[in-house]
Amino acid sequence: MTTLLGPTPAPASTSPLPAPTRIRERLGERVAPYLYIAPFFVIFAIFGLFPLLFTFYIALFDWNPIGDQVFVGADNFTRLLDDPRFWNAARNTLSIWLLSTVPQLALALLLAHVLHHARLRWAGFFRMTMLVPYITSVAATTIVFAQMFDRDYGLLNWLLGLVGLGPVDFVQSGWGSHLMIAVMVTWRWFGYTTLLYLASLQAIPRETYEAAAVDGAGGWQRFRHITVPSLRPIIVFTVVTSTIGGLQIFTEPLLVSRAAPLTCGPTRECQTLTLFLYEQGFGMFQFGYAAAIGVALFVMVVAIALINYLAATRVRPEGK
Amino acid sequence: MFTRRTARRPLLALVLCLLVVVATGCANRSRPGSGDGRSIEFWSFSGINQAAAVADYERAHPEIDVQLTEVGSSVETAQSLVTALAAGKVPDLVLIQGDDLPRFVEASDNFHDLREFGADEIRSDYLDWVIAQSTGADGRVIGVPTDVGGLAVAYRTDLFAAAGLPTDRAEVGALWPTWDDFIEVGRRYTAATGAAFIDNAATSVFYQAVNQGAVKYYDEDGEPVYRESAPVREAFDLALAAVDAGITAGQSSFAESWGAGMQHGDYAAVAAPAWMLNSIRTTAPDTAGSWDLAPIPGGAGNWGGSYLAIPRNAENPEAAWEYIRETQSPAGQLDHFADSGSLPTTPSVYEDEALTSFTDPFFSDAPVGRIYTESLLGLSPFPVGRDSSTIGQEFLNAITDVEQGGGDPERAWDRALDNIRIAIGR
Repeated sequence: MTTLLGPTPAPASTSPLPAPTRIRERLGERVAPYLYIAPFFVIFAIFGLFPLLFTFYIALFDWNPIGDQVFVGADNFTRLLDDPRFWNAARNTLSIWLLSTVPQLALALLLAHVLHHARLRWAGFFRMTMLVPYITSVAATTIVFAQMFDRDYGLLNWLLGLVGLGPVDFVQSGWGSHLMIAVMVTWRWFGYTTLLYLASLQAIPRETYEAAAVDGAGGWQRFRHITVPSLRPIIVFTVVTSTIGGLQIFTEPLLVSRAAPLTCGPTRECQTLTLFLYEQGFGMFQFGYAAAIGVALFVMVVAIALINYLAATRVRPEGK
Repeated sequence: MFTRRTARRPLLALVLCLLVVVATGCANRSRPGSGDGRSIEFWSFSGINQAAAVADYERAHPEIDVQLTEVGSSVETAQSLVTALAAGKVPDLVLIQGDDLPRFVEASDNFHDLREFGADEIRSDYLDWVIAQSTGADGRVIGVPTDVGGLAVAYRTDLFAAAGLPTDRAEVGALWPTWDDFIEVGRRYTAATGAAFIDNAATSVFYQAVNQGAVKYYDEDGEPVYRESAPVREAFDLALAAVDAGITAGQSSFAESWGAGMQHGDYAAVAAPAWMLNSIRTTAPDTAGSWDLAPIPGGAGNWGGSYLAIPRNAENPEAAWEYIRETQSPAGQLDHFADSGSLPTTPSVYEDEALTSFTDPFFSDAPVGRIYTESLLGLSPFPVGRDSSTIGQEFLNAITDVEQGGGDPERAWDRALDNIRIAIGR
């Protein structure tokens, strides 16, 4: 087969088929599988790999999309490390990610446990409604939540007022805006995560639980020693995906502050890294600098996903 | 065996198709002047009633099809335009807001030099300091000005009356010849009612006052002078004084709660550049008739105004130019003024009966045309520079932080300067 593209080799067997046809046949068998998977890789190369590599390239330039493009080497990166706005965005991103991921996964785990074991009427209905926030447009969710959290006319502050607590300005305060965005993210994703957990729960044989019950294990013990260990692979999966998603939160911070949308508040209270990237690229037309932010974000996502993965797979329950 | 080979063919065809799509997709840039000359793709902002002008034009020219897209806010429109110019698929005609213009003038290669079509012949129709802003250093003209933003204050006559203040627009104007007087009136209003006087200090005080000085953020040579420019510092301190007086509602312009506050009458006055009138009208339609307009404190000024430009790769540049020539002629701008309230850039119509006698029932029959053209008289225009909009946004953020975020007013100016230096690098 080394001479596939060369001159036709002499027929080496007594096959009844003429030689060129047989070679084409064998070639087909070898190549066909690659062709079957080719569409994905072709599309990935065009829309995934090329933009990724091109971002690394642009990051080395002072790149005005409608003007000059000057090579500046690593200048964008040194500037980035000195830029307080970058570190602020990194802090905000981590804070929002923690505030949204941890409660979301815990909530989903508990809900899945309840949905699986409790005797519910219309269980199918409850399971399906969990997905409604997930299929609702992010922009719509954000606008409704932002109105609920509004300082002067919001539902939440009205309720706080009823119990005598002063209005809280969620958008203009650092922790308030992070909490608000974390609530939106949790709302959108908890149903999806719950269903993933539920699907895995249903794969655990019922006998395991029955045996545990016979041995005298209570509800909490069964949850801790059967449910959680059996779900470990899917928990690792959701931790990694929600980390990647959480570090790229964009729509919510863009839409919560109408006064300063690109910075998510006048003092960048909830500007995330992706929003900072967008501000520099499309607000300031500094595509090179924006690309450098993108590269930094890429490095952070890879690093944190790796740490997550190692931590989640190394930690084993006792006795294993 | 034969059948197996034919079965493989669709797959090969699919892969080939993909490659073809990719190849042509990359090459699918619009070619200059390749259109049919009868349709114009027009990108504009939302909320300025551009559709009325387009409908008028299509009625007068049934053979022309103007496809109007309201991209979003002025800033969003500029962002989309950058993407379009970089990608090569551009509209025939685009509206650009004044603060966003310098970056496009700097990259004037991306646009038709309107002198190709005879812009020199109509140049003298326009206020010279306005069209100067769309003229590059090399003399290229990339935009024709559509409107200017003369200044005024919109106020609620019913709320003023309840606070024991005069309601007649001349008397109200006489209350506040200076910004200090304006803040004093605010104190009286708040003392009498317990409610806020204006929506916010950042736009209703700073953005007005800073647009009345002879120097803003740049000097004549395009060098940034925002640090040492006295009118900027004065405007900034006035805004902080308004915050300190406790007369602001802390509602950022165009936020949802700003609209709710306007509907509820939670503040009695809003600084209103000419283009703001349409926004008040659509935000709080139930308050029709309870508004009036008084002259702005502090004298002549201009905030805002936009330009029509034709991207270099437009498919129908001639048809787009015809649209500009007709709708932005002095007579065309006068017509549009009646539709939308946007103030003409063509001084020849400022004395026109149709403009001077125009009144708006929403604003208690205030003579809108006269009030705004008078606010432009004696204006000493300031140069606009590349990062004017960024600098303005940082000053606005610093004031908003003091007003709504509890920031320290003593440090606000220095923090604003620090943030600007980080943002624009000088």
